[in-house]
Amino acid sequence: MFTEELKAFRRLGFRHVLLQVLNFASVIASGLMIWKGLGLLTNTESPIVVVLSYWFHGTRFYRGDLLFLTNPASERYHTGDITVYKIPGADIPIVHRVLETHDVSEKVKIPGLVTKYPGDQLLLTKGDNNYVDDIELYQGLDWLERKHIVGKNDFPQLKYALLGILGLLALIQRE
Amino acid sequence: MALLACIALSSFLFTADPKGNLSISPVRVFPSKTNRYPRRKQEMGFVNFNISADLTSLFHWKTKQLFLYLEAEYQNTQGILCVNNTVVVWDRIVRRKEDAVINFAGKNKYAFREISSSFKKVPSSHYSLKYNVMPYVGVLTYGEAARTAEAVDFVWEEHV
Repeated sequence: MFTEELKAFRRLGFRHVLLQVLNFASVIASGLMIWKGLGLLTNTESPIVVVLSYWFHGTRFYRGDLLFLTNPASERYHTGDITVYKIPGADIPIVHRVLETHDVSEKVKIPGLVTKYPGDQLLLTKGDNNYVDDIELYQGLDWLERKHIVGKNDFPQLKYALLGILGLLALIQRE
Repeated sequence: MALLACIALSSFLFTADPKGNLSISPVRVFPSKTNRYPRRKQEMGFVNFNISADLTSLFHWKTKQLFLYLEAEYQNTQGILCVNNTVVVWDRIVRRKEDAVINFAGKNKYAFREISSSFKKVPSSHYSLKYNVMPYVGVLTYGEAARTAEAVDFVWEEHV
């Protein structure tokens, strides 16, 4: 099946094949660098997230939609923000909207929790299409905290729109 | 990439800032219990409100849908706690321009409760109607359509 390709490779010579392999590797390496660089820039582990399932967000985010995340370290989260969070013990991050925020401005001991310090936030989230909040998903936690949040989504890209635009771009470049 | 950036940036060109009206009755507080810890007492607040707003100006070619939400803001600064709280009590998803004229009177969809289990130390609350424009492609934008001018009190009821 590959005999034709093998013949072509042999014709081109070993150096050429090596060059191709190196090209390929450098593309992968630069991709990885960009990914990590973006991660540093936006202060989040996964700056670009692909929606795996319709149910994660619920407000008509379809499978394959891309979300660009940021996680500014000192900024507080507001109600209405779409966040991606991960509960320790659960594998999958969840993309839901913040329903409640409780910001501590002085050191305080809240009943049922460890002491909270100024700047700490307690958050409750909910998927837009769900009837109830996410408390059942928190695996025993009463509130989410900043440390559980992977990032905030300010910049959703609908998969088809994105594909359409990239397609247009490709067409234009060919001309 | 540049095209994508252009389209995304064009969302900044749309500067609609629709406003509406909001009226909230005093919040009625009832004693209750939490779902998760059945023996712990928890006061529940019931908010009755009236909203009217015309948000059609937020719908343009890039708008996929609007997410509207009514949120309560209050501080608990007496006693040992010093916490700023914002709680969404009602929301609605608007998918069509025709549905963007809101005239709604109702009560809170979601439980309104204080982390300290009681509203007794909370003097009053403010309410604001906010929206989130969700585009097909581009940046999410947020805005506020209405806000209560005066603080809303809490009223305690003896029986449910």
